[in-house]
Amino acid sequence: MEATNGKTKAGDWQNFERILLPPIRDLHKLDVYEAEYDGYQAIQKVLKEWEPGEVVNEVKQANVRGRGGAAFNAGLKWSFMPPKGDRPRYLACNADESEPGTYKDRQLMEYNPHLMFEGILLANYAMQMDACYVYVRGEYVDWIDHMERELEKLYAKGYVGENIFGSDFSTDIILHKGAGAYICGEETSLMNSLEGKRGYPRIKPPFPAQKGLWGNPTTINNVETLAHVTLVMRHGADWFSGIGAPTHPGSTIYGISGHLNRPGVYEYPTGMLITDLIEKVCGGMRDGKKLKAVVPGGSSVPPLHADMIEGVTMDADSLREAGSMMGTGGMLVLNEDTDMVTYLRRVNHFYQHESCGQCTPCREGTGWLEAIVTRIDEGEGNLRDLDLLIDLCDQMEGRTICAFADAAAWPVRYTIERFREDFEAKCKPAVFDTGGVTISA
Amino acid sequence: MPTVTIDGETIDVSGDKPLLQECLNMGTELPHFCYHPAMSAPANCRQCMVEVGTPVRDRETGELKLDDEGNPEIQWMPKLMTSCTVQVTDGMVVKTHRTSEKAKRGQKDTLEFLLINHPLDCPICDQAGKCPLQIQAYKYGPEGSRFEFRKVHKPKRVKLGPRVTLDAERCINCTRCTRFTEEISGSCQLTISERGVKNYPITMPGQPFDDPYSMNTIDLCPVGALTSTDSRFKARAWEMSRTPSITTLNARGSNCYYMVRDNLIMEVVPRQNMQVNEYWLPDEERVGWAYERFNDMRPAHGPELRSDGELTPVSWERATDAASKALGAVDPSEILFLGSAHATVEDNYLLKRLAEALGADAPRYIPHIDAGHDDDWLRTDDRTPNAQGCERLGIHPIDADVVRSRVEAGEIKAVYVLDDDPVGAGLFTEDQLDDLIVVLHYYNTTNQTLPVTDVALPAAMVVETVGTYVNDHGHAQTVRPAKTIKEVNRTLMMATGKSRPDMHGTPFDRWHNDDNQVDCLPGWEVLPMVAAHLDIDLSYKGPKAIMAEVSEENPAFAGATHEAMGLQGVRLEDVGEPA
Ligand SMILES: Cc1cc2nc3c(=O)[nH]c(=O)nc-3n(C[C@H](O)[C@H](O)[C@H](O)COP(=O)(O)O)c2cc1C
Ligand code: SF4
Ligand code: SF4
Ligand code: FES
Repeated sequence: MEATNGKTKAGDWQNFERILLPPIRDLHKLDVYEAEYDGYQAIQKVLKEWEPGEVVNEVKQANVRGRGGAAFNAGLKWSFMPPKGDRPRYLACNADESEPGTYKDRQLMEYNPHLMFEGILLANYAMQMDACYVYVRGEYVDWIDHMERELEKLYAKGYVGENIFGSDFSTDIILHKGAGAYICGEETSLMNSLEGKRGYPRIKPPFPAQKGLWGNPTTINNVETLAHVTLVMRHGADWFSGIGAPTHPGSTIYGISGHLNRPGVYEYPTGMLITDLIEKVCGGMRDGKKLKAVVPGGSSVPPLHADMIEGVTMDADSLREAGSMMGTGGMLVLNEDTDMVTYLRRVNHFYQHESCGQCTPCREGTGWLEAIVTRIDEGEGNLRDLDLLIDLCDQMEGRTICAFADAAAWPVRYTIERFREDFEAKCKPAVFDTGGVTISA
Repeated sequence: MPTVTIDGETIDVSGDKPLLQECLNMGTELPHFCYHPAMSAPANCRQCMVEVGTPVRDRETGELKLDDEGNPEIQWMPKLMTSCTVQVTDGMVVKTHRTSEKAKRGQKDTLEFLLINHPLDCPICDQAGKCPLQIQAYKYGPEGSRFEFRKVHKPKRVKLGPRVTLDAERCINCTRCTRFTEEISGSCQLTISERGVKNYPITMPGQPFDDPYSMNTIDLCPVGALTSTDSRFKARAWEMSRTPSITTLNARGSNCYYMVRDNLIMEVVPRQNMQVNEYWLPDEERVGWAYERFNDMRPAHGPELRSDGELTPVSWERATDAASKALGAVDPSEILFLGSAHATVEDNYLLKRLAEALGADAPRYIPHIDAGHDDDWLRTDDRTPNAQGCERLGIHPIDADVVRSRVEAGEIKAVYVLDDDPVGAGLFTEDQLDDLIVVLHYYNTTNQTLPVTDVALPAAMVVETVGTYVNDHGHAQTVRPAKTIKEVNRTLMMATGKSRPDMHGTPFDRWHNDDNQVDCLPGWEVLPMVAAHLDIDLSYKGPKAIMAEVSEENPAFAGATHEAMGLQGVRLEDVGEPA
């Protein structure tokens, strides 16, 4: 079990100084970012002194694991880009943030958008991209407006566009507003949406690096992932990989919600004990209630029973062992009064509503799951419904174009598996038709 | 050539087609809905799932790894794969539902999902009986349903456009229809609207689905969601026989099936021919007049003669005798023979032989050109099916000015017309023909030459005859009768083959109805009768024998025997200007 002596993978986290969201007033403005946070120094240094390939290697070595959900090494992903040829190449910055319980990218775009913009420039240089499309969740109107203004300044100062910072590298950044579909956060759907098509995920292969936006080589990264890139290039890979969990390093933004005294958005190193986050960071459970469940990384990751979180830390390895995933780092904490059937019903409704509708198992399955769970929640369900639910999960998982169907099925499978008593309590008792014969129990 | 092993059977494959197509080609049926060979594969129905494995290679040497028994070691993909998106590679091993419980289960599961919100109104659905969802659900689906909730409700009876009606509840969201307008017709008129289970195809608000090829989506639709506004609810699939033939309103001769019930043409649907129309048919070949002309507009009586100014029904014997007398009454140089680009090669050939035997000028035909109709696809400026056939026989377009002045000058005394309408076509006015003897083989009572006709001979149409047409690319195709005529004709009866959609009909199973038989005859039967009255021998054993002779004697028809043309036709050599 992890560090019980007060030291965790997150190290001396009580004294951790925030790096993604440092406490600097008006940091979202270009002049403040430059004057008070070494803004756009890393990119200028890199443009002068680094070969693109070296940047890829540095990020790979830093082991910046994608913060969009799958926790894939960003540098490694970049290295899948084919060598530069005649075709244009694109970066897509995934700012669609729609996973329930997740609101970390929003903080970055609100308080430190230039960290993301600088990361985009670094990534664009590393992979020699012609442009980056930032696909922003449409509801983030205020921050889109703000970022548009800041981006204009960047163009005006020659930080973006032709020959950035006087170098011979040119690249563009384009902000694009989404129209409110969760599925458009899935990377291939995002590309279709950018192209003006329906937000239908594409079949992989071909992978985006081979055939992405408009059929050209493309890489997709999350906002936070790209923000970290700036820090890596500013302070070096070793510095970065020294923070937090060794196999999943860096700081991260924990969006913590639920029955807590101080829910909120917190930046800490990865590898934090879940118990520390609940007790020390968020001030413990509200009204002294007992903990029932933790959903560590957004609504689609398997929920953990209170019994399962002892010693579990917030990094991919520890969470996998515990039976869940890091996901987006959006953590939902539920107390003993929570009816997990009602919780699941709400989650199911979300997935039913958001399925793009392409694949048969997802389109039909998400609605069916919701219908059954609703019936159980309303006291009309039967015990055999639980078997049916698990069967439907079997019929959906791994059988669709994108991972949405898995994301919709996992909460069902694991909520039933781990909180079965809640379901049994709501199901009608099993009635056996014995044809009049009395069976003694 | 790569090889794949499917359910234990190893076959050579081209490697450029997806696994699903290879399976279908080798005769292994795999259930599927969204895949269509002419369009991109979205893999959205998730029906065609199979287990796929590939041989393991040694990382260093690249050699195949062998197991203890010396067989290549196979690495199986952990998930079921949609065969429509699997590119076949050498040594691939595949297990379909025939040999894999997992694949069988996967296919069954998908069908269960497909049916939960499907209305299952098969008893009133036009697609029932030929419905891929119905057929595959019976074959591969679960026995019952575990779904105990209200089904999703979506728009019904939506008139997407002038010819296509949508029932969104039946739709299984395969996107074949939207992909057709995007990738094949290019009109991009259809798109999917809404999300998830509320999905259905629709046009942009206020835009009609008036793509001139819109009805192909009806054929593509694997369920009864898209139906023909014109023919929906008129005939069940199993009540109709289905005859492979060609359409005749364009020079392309697109391949089709004529669907017949009670000896009436109910529907015209496309038939695959990769050298002619691939899978498609223009809408104009199958709505309204395009097939009503085979039913309602046919002559109510058999042959007729004009007496006391009125056309009066007579026997075929008398009518052909009258026709021969008309020809015999004038000098052969005074007869104008009009062949026809609507008529078969066989009929035109006999007409030409008759003209020759009499010593008259060679027949000419009336071109029917609708400039600007051509769309570089299946619609052509030439609105007749056999202009090429005429040309190859040495029958050329008529020079309207020359022939009109000859009529004016009284140099022409008799006009013998094969399956055309010189007045309707504007070649002559009624007045110009009034004083001439006119013999007319005709299809429809709307023929405007009838008022000045002396001998009217109802002619068998493409749906009633056996014969050959040559399309604008020189593709020669035979047709066979889809409906029966009143007269007894052995050749036609023999050619009336199995044609039920289930392929289990009897040769005479035309969903027969004597009331709807037309008293008409094919040219190749009438012309020899006319000739016989003139002591000219034009007798053949039927159109097959005629074509055998034509293909033998005329290099422009080399190889075009009925046997060779079969159901897919023969591409004729381009021999330049025929003699
Ligand atoms: C249904 C679905 C929704 C997703 N939504 C988001 C999202 O809103 N934001 C995001 O960054 N990644 C999202 N992802 C993950 C992306 O597909 C992709 O993996 C990620 O953007 C890659 O960035 P990263 O490697 O930097 O994490 C989603 C994935 C799925 C399957
Ligand atoms: S799994 Fe669901 S969301 Fe993903 S492509 Fe299929 S239908 Fe759309
Ligand atoms: S209407 Fe028919 S063809 Fe179109 S998506 Fe639905 S099922 Fe497929
Ligand atoms: S045919 Fe393969 S998924 Fe539809």
